[in-house]
Amino acid sequence: MDLKNKKILVTGGAGFLGGHIVKKLLERGVPKENIFTPRSFELDLRKRADCQKAVNDRDVVIHAAALTGNVELHKSRSAEIFYNNLIMGVELIEAARQAGVQKFITIGSATEYPDNIRLPFREDDLWMGPLEPIHAPYTVAKKMLLVNAQAYRKQYGFNAVHILLTNMYGPSEHEDGGPIPALIKRIGEARKTGETTVRIWGTGRATRDFLYVGDAVEGICLVTEKYDKSEPINLGSGFEISIKELAEIIARLMNFDGKLDFDPTKPEGQPRRVLDTARAEKELNFKAITDFEEGLKQTIKWHGY
Amino acid sequence: MDIKFRGLKILVTGGAGFLGRHLLDNLIKKRGVSPEDIFVPRSQDFDLRRREDCEKVCRHKDLVIHLAAKVGGIGYNQEKPGELFYDNIVMGTQMLEAAYRAGVKKIVILATICSYPKFTPLPFSENDLWSGYPEETNAPYGLAKRAFITGAQAYRNQHTFNVICLLPVNLYGPGDNFDPQRSHVVPALIRKVAEAKKLCQNYIEVWGTGRATREFLYIEDAAEGILLAAEKYNNPDPVNLGSGKEISIKDLTETICRLMDFKGEIRWDTSKPDGQPRRFLDISRAKKEFGFQARTDFETGLKKTIDWYLTNDF
Repeated sequence: MDLKNKKILVTGGAGFLGGHIVKKLLERGVPKENIFTPRSFELDLRKRADCQKAVNDRDVVIHAAALTGNVELHKSRSAEIFYNNLIMGVELIEAARQAGVQKFITIGSATEYPDNIRLPFREDDLWMGPLEPIHAPYTVAKKMLLVNAQAYRKQYGFNAVHILLTNMYGPSEHEDGGPIPALIKRIGEARKTGETTVRIWGTGRATRDFLYVGDAVEGICLVTEKYDKSEPINLGSGFEISIKELAEIIARLMNFDGKLDFDPTKPEGQPRRVLDTARAEKELNFKAITDFEEGLKQTIKWHGY
Repeated sequence: MDIKFRGLKILVTGGAGFLGRHLLDNLIKKRGVSPEDIFVPRSQDFDLRRREDCEKVCRHKDLVIHLAAKVGGIGYNQEKPGELFYDNIVMGTQMLEAAYRAGVKKIVILATICSYPKFTPLPFSENDLWSGYPEETNAPYGLAKRAFITGAQAYRNQHTFNVICLLPVNLYGPGDNFDPQRSHVVPALIRKVAEAKKLCQNYIEVWGTGRATREFLYIEDAAEGILLAAEKYNNPDPVNLGSGKEISIKDLTETICRLMDFKGEIRWDTSKPDGQPRRFLDISRAKKEFGFQARTDFETGLKKTIDWYLTNDF
């Protein structure tokens, strides 16, 4: 699918991921007037009528809007996270189907994977076990968009696909978005105030697969252009790093020589996470290209340190 | 603490359906609830896929029993996975949100045995719900309802809202849907046999190999189980509702033929899917938590169902 002459709705277009998607679409040559990014105060996508307005006369929908955040938010606002993410996605897909949208991208998350499956996480193992309970309201809501996409493809031939996106990082990510901006902020503040210790939640042994946002949106664009299958598709770096190593690299890049103090009484989520990248490589010829330290430097710079 | 139904304002969605009618009967006759205290929204008046309509029906209610669902047999599930997914997930999620917003004290939500993974170890324990993908033909329906279990726990955690989830097996009994497009296996078989007899046809054709197994719960027992849970159960863990008895489709078919005095041949159409290979629930949690045990003997229940169909066959 050539995106240049398509009218594209990007939900969550004002957010971290959505903003980078818009930038990438512009780079691809999509005219600015063909990209629509309604803000939540204009359209409330939990309402069916607003979903209908949002998809009206659009060819492609990239659904990047989500209510998400760190562990604390997922714990304290579990019902809202469940309701908002589920209803937004389901109503938007239904409205898009009725409006004759040609392609719908649902952006899911690597947190949809169960805890205790073999590494790296393969798309075919997505349903093979229970989910991390703190994140379950978010991950189940997201997983339902996969089920939705598959059911609509089967009954209506509707071209909806589901991406399993790993943890992203990069410039313009809000500081409560994920571990990287949180670490940058804490270390930056400690350096400013002369603190010699930075406290970090969890044991530090949990691992993650971080994808630079520039690579992530390249992958999302490739999925939009080329991937038309029922099965979900991973977008990750395939590179596994522990939170401890990550914190040490960030501390080094920020010239912080104080102590990193891990608090094992605090939750750290899924114990290990790294995605199998074979499907995206085979189907889209996609591979993450940004060097991790280089990506971190860009991110630290954006945060003003 | 046990909930006493008398004096409570009760909303029963799907109250005009197969299960709903039996549940209302139990509420009124056995539990002494005044019919004025029970509200049953009808689909021509309220579309429970709309949030506004869910809000309307939840207003001033103390207890919500959400039975409304879009269901069908294997054929319907294969043909309409999109509708089954959308209708069920939106209805359940909007009811949950609306009931919470309206200040309802407790909501009972039904998931389904179809939520279980295709290859769950037998008997199905509630703890194994997340161990795999459901049988493909009913996955969108089963997964939509599996999501409610997570939703229930999310509302309980954030709002201390008393939501419970029950997982009933295949239900059967008088008043079931015998429409061949939508019916489940028991009414479908009864109808086939009755029609074969009427046409003096000496055989019936049945989908699948007959080797798949199922568990059936008599409709009045199901209603009793749901109401016991509504009265006594207040925990986040979902609870199976079943009879604890497994029967193969072949044995079921033969039993129905015998009870209906049909001596013709049973032809198995093995080109048609069996659905999930085996289904059989661990029913210990329901017994332990709220003292529920199915009372109706299977043949007795089948006879009542057959009699009902034959006297209501139009």
